[in-house]
Amino acid sequence: MLKELIEFMARALVDNPDKVKVSEIEGEQTSVIELRVAKEDLGKVIGKQGRTARAMRTILSAASTKIRKRAVLEIIE
Amino acid sequence: MITISPYSTSTNPSATGALSEESMSVLEFEEKSVEEAIAAACQKLNLPREKLEIEILSKGSSGIFGIVGVRKAKIRVTFQEMPLEAAADQAKEILAEILKHVDVPTVIEPVVKDDCVYLNIISNGSGLLIGKRGKTLSALQYLVTRILHRMGGENVSVIVDTENYRSKREMSLMELAQQLGEKVKKSKRSLTTGPMNAQDRRIVHLALKEDHEVRTKSKGEGNLRRVVIYPVRKGRKQQRPAESQEEV
Repeated sequence: MLKELIEFMARALVDNPDKVKVSEIEGEQTSVIELRVAKEDLGKVIGKQGRTARAMRTILSAASTKIRKRAVLEIIE
Repeated sequence: MITISPYSTSTNPSATGALSEESMSVLEFEEKSVEEAIAAACQKLNLPREKLEIEILSKGSSGIFGIVGVRKAKIRVTFQEMPLEAAADQAKEILAEILKHVDVPTVIEPVVKDDCVYLNIISNGSGLLIGKRGKTLSALQYLVTRILHRMGGENVSVIVDTENYRSKREMSLMELAQQLGEKVKKSKRSLTTGPMNAQDRRIVHLALKEDHEVRTKSKGEGNLRRVVIYPVRKGRKQQRPAESQEEV
């Protein structure tokens, strides 16, 4: 569910939606969501001063509180 | 390579006439062939080919053996900007899709008002979508705006609200501004608010705009920017620095 959330947001933001890869590493309390995008799209998911990345993280943490979990978004180069 | 040169409708006589009432935009694209230029235009604007009015400025040629006389094809594309209602629907779709994954039952009401798209989220009232100081709400608003702009709804501003949070916040900020203004007038000393984001600072500036006994100014950097309220000494001509109104 958290994975799909990030996947949707990232796909909508980039130029190469088919190159968006999201994987979730589930832990007992914390999930790590790894986001991979095409190199030229990296800036689009991070945004100016990391604003887009921050917005995605905020929404992710809202979604994860709902299911009583913690989630961390890692954008991987 | 795509070169985009925005033209306003008035400078382009071919696009005026019957269509001048509509909000038309004109862009130029340059590619190796006409086909490629059209494809680039469709991709850039995120519109199907049928929606574009295409004028071929130069067909381009590959030259002799691709060495001598290579010319790029150039087209001029006229398209209608996304109407506000369509933008509102699209914005609603985007927000609904995001919220679907957050797993809260929600209904979204889109309203078009003063060139803005308002999206009111009706939810269970848990405050989950607001977050601390409206953080989650701002994040949603920012992302919806970003995605909408990518889909061709440029210069449409989106406001996301839930449970009247934004109007309540505006009211309490205006009250706070008035109170601080009174204090400054009494003590004749300047006061500073806590750190605020741009929208909140704007509200404070606007709340004290009409009050000629105080003036306001934003100070600080980045996330720590705050509003300083100064007393205006009597006898002196009232000065209203431009930034107290414009720079938020």
